[in-house]
Amino acid sequence: MKNGSLLVVNTLPKNDPAVQAAIGALTAKAETGEVMHTEDMKIQPCVGCNFCWLKTPGVCAIRDDYEALLRALLRYDTAVLIAGTALGFLDHRAKHIVDRTLPLATMYTHVVDGQMRHIPRYDKRFRFGLLYAGAGEREYLTYWMKRFALNLGGNSLGAFPIEEAGEVSLCV
Amino acid sequence: MRLTIISGAVRHQSKSNTAKIIGAFRQGFEAGGNTTKVWFLSDRRQWDSARAALQTEENVLFALPLYVENVPGILLEFLEGAAADAPPQACGRLSFLLQGGFPEASQSRCCEKFLKTLPGKLGREYGGTFIHGEMFGLSLLGEKRAKAMLKPFAEAGRRFAQAGRFQGADFANLSSPEYLSEKQIRQSRHFRPAQKCLLTVIARRLGCKTRLDARPLIEDTGKIKSSER
Repeated sequence: MKNGSLLVVNTLPKNDPAVQAAIGALTAKAETGEVMHTEDMKIQPCVGCNFCWLKTPGVCAIRDDYEALLRALLRYDTAVLIAGTALGFLDHRAKHIVDRTLPLATMYTHVVDGQMRHIPRYDKRFRFGLLYAGAGEREYLTYWMKRFALNLGGNSLGAFPIEEAGEVSLCV
Repeated sequence: MRLTIISGAVRHQSKSNTAKIIGAFRQGFEAGGNTTKVWFLSDRRQWDSARAALQTEENVLFALPLYVENVPGILLEFLEGAAADAPPQACGRLSFLLQGGFPEASQSRCCEKFLKTLPGKLGREYGGTFIHGEMFGLSLLGEKRAKAMLKPFAEAGRRFAQAGRFQGADFANLSSPEYLSEKQIRQSRHFRPAQKCLLTVIARRLGCKTRLDARPLIEDTGKIKSSER
């Protein structure tokens, strides 16, 4: 049985055999899908200007290829990030990508389950998953993914070693 | 005591809330004759010097904003480089000053959990994390309010100079509340329209020409703009 639509955001080298195997496993179960390789895109780190919240709401001040990724996140039911790890966490390449998701939230806040949250900009229940390569600390990455998804008003599918891509495709 | 402070903020020093917080912290810390040296990672020309200081200095403090539940990408990039270096020549402590936009300290616990693991990976001892929230408005709410918001950091600097680490009730008292009280939650709901007005005024002053909850990536129908497919 095929699942919903799937976006794969790969921050590792696209020719890495483990990446290719993971993408194959993920997309095999999706009805429609798209794979974005960030090594082919010009994406700069967030500069913390807050323009996407206060000056040009929803639009990042950095005019690079990231907007295509934001649009894709809105278009697909589920997004899976393929990332390298360092110091037990995501590596900086993947974190730079995640840091740029701020335009998906508004500056307005509300309290959800006793904690303050940004009000999401779009009526979309995001579903995020993480596949990581290297010595990531799975328990921590799972915890972090949950928090990350919560901040955008979404759900986390969890964090899995890249070898377990098949497990994530079941969640998708 | 001599303290090296490394700012992990992404925003340029001149516009950085973290830089202002470091300034207040230094005031308190240096009051007793202690000295500091500050490096800003937002300026990549300072990275080599910051990395050298991390190798040789005994007392290092990272000051950073909470960024998507963890450290900003540029700080992670710097730390990855540092982890690849030889073990530090100086044995000492790494401490962390973590500031966030939301008012509750609980918002920063996920990042704190990661920070706790770093000193061990960099051949250092953990000197604790001082967490303080509700700092988003620091550069937006005027000088008088900013002065009040920075007070806890000056006091934290003074106490850090005595203790050499962030530990114990002395710092917990200065930190933000772990969670909002029921009363604060009710108030936040009550004052939400006023909050929206204030943010709109601030945004207009910054040159904003649309609604703060604008949805520029979709059409009115809720679909992604076809030209972008």
